[in-house]
Amino acid sequence: MLELVDVHTFYGNIRALRGISIGVESGEIVTLVGANGAGKTTTLRTILGTVRPRRGSVSFGGQRLDGLTTDRIVRLGIAQSPEGRRIFPRMTVLENLELGAFARQDHQGIASDLDRVFTLFPRLRERGGQKGGTLSGGEQQMLAIGRALMARPTLLLLDEPSMGLSPILVDTIFKIIQDINRQGTTILLVEQNARMALRVAHRGYVMQTGRIVLHDTASDLLRSDLVRKTYLGEK
Amino acid sequence: MTDPRRALGWAALSVGLILYPFLDRWLGLQTVHAVSDGMIYVLLALGLNIVVGYAGLLDLGYAAFFAIGAYSMGLLNSPVLHSPLYGYPWSFWVCIWFAAAVSALLGVVIGAPTLRVRGDYLAIITLGFGEIIPVAIRNLGDVTIDIAGWRPIERLNLTGGENGVNPIGRPYLPGVPFETDPVPWYFLILVIGLASLWAMNRLRDSRLGRAWMAIREDETAADCTGVNPISTKLLAFALGASFAGFAGSVYAAKLQAITPGAFEFQVSIMLLCMVVLGGAGSLKGVILGGMLITLFDRVLLTQMTTMVRWVGRTADIPALAAADLTLWRWFFFGLGLVLVMLLRPEGLAGRRARPLAEEPDEPTVPTPAAAPRAEAIPGWLRDGARPRGAAPAGSPLLEVRGITRRFGGVVALNEVDLVVPRAAVIGLIGPNGAGKTTFFNVVTGLVAPDNGRIVFEGQDLAGLRPNAIVARGIARTFQSIRLFPQMTVLDNVLVGEHCRLDATVPGAVFRPPSVIVEERRARTRARELLAFVGLGGKEDDTARNLPYGDQRRLEIARALATEPRLLLLDEPTAGMNPRETETLTELIGLLRRELSVSVLLIEHDMAVVMGISDRITVLDYGTRIAEGNPAEIQRDRRVIEAYLGAGYEQDLATR
Repeated sequence: MLELVDVHTFYGNIRALRGISIGVESGEIVTLVGANGAGKTTTLRTILGTVRPRRGSVSFGGQRLDGLTTDRIVRLGIAQSPEGRRIFPRMTVLENLELGAFARQDHQGIASDLDRVFTLFPRLRERGGQKGGTLSGGEQQMLAIGRALMARPTLLLLDEPSMGLSPILVDTIFKIIQDINRQGTTILLVEQNARMALRVAHRGYVMQTGRIVLHDTASDLLRSDLVRKTYLGEK
Repeated sequence: MTDPRRALGWAALSVGLILYPFLDRWLGLQTVHAVSDGMIYVLLALGLNIVVGYAGLLDLGYAAFFAIGAYSMGLLNSPVLHSPLYGYPWSFWVCIWFAAAVSALLGVVIGAPTLRVRGDYLAIITLGFGEIIPVAIRNLGDVTIDIAGWRPIERLNLTGGENGVNPIGRPYLPGVPFETDPVPWYFLILVIGLASLWAMNRLRDSRLGRAWMAIREDETAADCTGVNPISTKLLAFALGASFAGFAGSVYAAKLQAITPGAFEFQVSIMLLCMVVLGGAGSLKGVILGGMLITLFDRVLLTQMTTMVRWVGRTADIPALAAADLTLWRWFFFGLGLVLVMLLRPEGLAGRRARPLAEEPDEPTVPTPAAAPRAEAIPGWLRDGARPRGAAPAGSPLLEVRGITRRFGGVVALNEVDLVVPRAAVIGLIGPNGAGKTTFFNVVTGLVAPDNGRIVFEGQDLAGLRPNAIVARGIARTFQSIRLFPQMTVLDNVLVGEHCRLDATVPGAVFRPPSVIVEERRARTRARELLAFVGLGGKEDDTARNLPYGDQRRLEIARALATEPRLLLLDEPTAGMNPRETETLTELIGLLRRELSVSVLLIEHDMAVVMGISDRITVLDYGTRIAEGNPAEIQRDRRVIEAYLGAGYEQDLATR
């Protein structure tokens, strides 16, 4: 469904991605694991077209994405919940969510998806009329994920969805990720909490300084020495 | 100056500046007048640069201060105005200082009520001020006060009205022909300009310059790092205005005549264009921008007009033969500005984002910073962390009683009590939106509580500004990192030391030994602190280029630079990998053990919270639902229900 082949992405003369190849099949949860600065977020940005790859190709359902503008890519069915939330602070929670469905026309579908987001995150329903910027950090995180879901994407990119969430909500958010996936959405997940990510994912890629150093099924990665020592903090 | 090529360049520039007017006369170019006027505008632009480039305050009415400087000179030094001050032997050399002082004073008067508003609103207010001054000048040429027939003031001419002021007294130096020759003016303005430049250069590299830039980068973070935003911005406004006062008074004396038309809105905009075109914040850039625009206007446009007319006459094109390009000046300015903004948005000589060094080609396993060591704690930090003041023995460090805060209908904090003893780590946990960060905001003075008391070392903190609370010894970090992104790593820490340094404006400019010693010590301390948190060797990097984990560490270093006795950390390990988390946990332990610094910690990583907290307070919907040691909290049913979740119990069992 999503395929990156030998992608190189630069920031100025910094090589953020040094030739990565990643495949995501329809219906999967795939996770990218790696330290800060390994290139996980850059990978998501390259897919969405907010940065351009200098070499290599990104394709989605057979169509080339590199070269398309971000709004075109979103209309093809990819949505993202960005790292650091990036919600619209002066708009209400409800307006933020409605903007997530900006590219859609099916009013009935939008209404039912709004209901679904509110069921997943009851806190957002309570705060529906409040300005996004007045939400707490964790609530903004929920809003960012909810807004991405409102696009009803076929592929959902999640960047650090558990960051800043309470333990009970971390559990909840990973359950929600699995629920969303069972309802038919393919998910590419970037997470610092490698343990939880690998528990819900089908497959995973391990990134180090802009390259893929390991990829395998999630359960095998959980058992691998490299992952356990470097990313799970086991001795 | 150690670089011989640079020294040579400076020497050549100096010789060029000295020889230029004589060369001009010898060649018969007659550009000295225009160049001198250009230098006056450069001086104005440099003053505006303090406000716009350093402190980041958009001022659209800066020409008003130019006018105030010019009319101050007129009021003291022109026979046509009915000034009660005229007639005393005011020399030009006294008047320029008077003009600068009046401008600075008005800068404060205008600034004080307006600087509390931010961004766009400030720009609109300065726009209004810039309009008011020329209108006032036009209407103060004939003042009569009539109170029921009694006229204490009748037909008083304060400003010359629409006709302006003419003549104005010239400077007097024995044997120097200011009356007939443009060259003395050139040198006078050059000297004033260079002295101003020297002062600005020193201001920029001082405690004050850093405070301005910190305000520009992030006002809230600067406030919470000990920089008073109000007085710092006011100082930028006043100093910027004083340079306009100098420029205005010299301009008036040189021109011998001033009219309100010379200080209109367009002048403010042109000055702003000079700053932006050259590069806001860069002294070289502003000089370049100022010179380019004035010389283009005064010299090049007329030359081009002559050329175009000559072409028109020879080719017999009447439209060209009668062309007057000077009428097109705004078109050319606009075009030039658009082009520069498109091609070089940071300005002609602005500081470009520094290109990063290329990373090594081979992938390496990221090496987290070495664990912090007790020996590496800077000695001065140990001294600074000792309890100060006459706090009663045995009293807690921080005592919060019955804090309530509502936002609209939402009760963010409801009667919350919390006590932080000395040398303790206290965890503050709770579901998202429970009010934890609001609690931090209340303690640090960002948000005023509706009810309740906050007592730190026996003193009530009620009504104190955030920067004053930092000075008392409470420092914080932010949930979403708030560094000064465009400043260097070292400068970020130096801003943290701001409230422990004393240099004033004269101190920053003239650098007496005490200031030199203080500044050197501040830099040494900042380096030691960076080495301690594991950022040694990265002092000159731009903060925003640091990897995430390093940014977190830098924020802690900046907080430590304020020499706190209580450190508030808001989710310090968010987004860190297990190794980085471990290093940070050790650092917190070290601060408590070695420096007796207390830490109040918001954190969702339960391994961290449970591992290092002495006691934990749990908030839910703004209300304290539990308080106890980690073991008690982990068993508390309400905490498990609201926060930890059943999964946490399972994890705990399997661990």
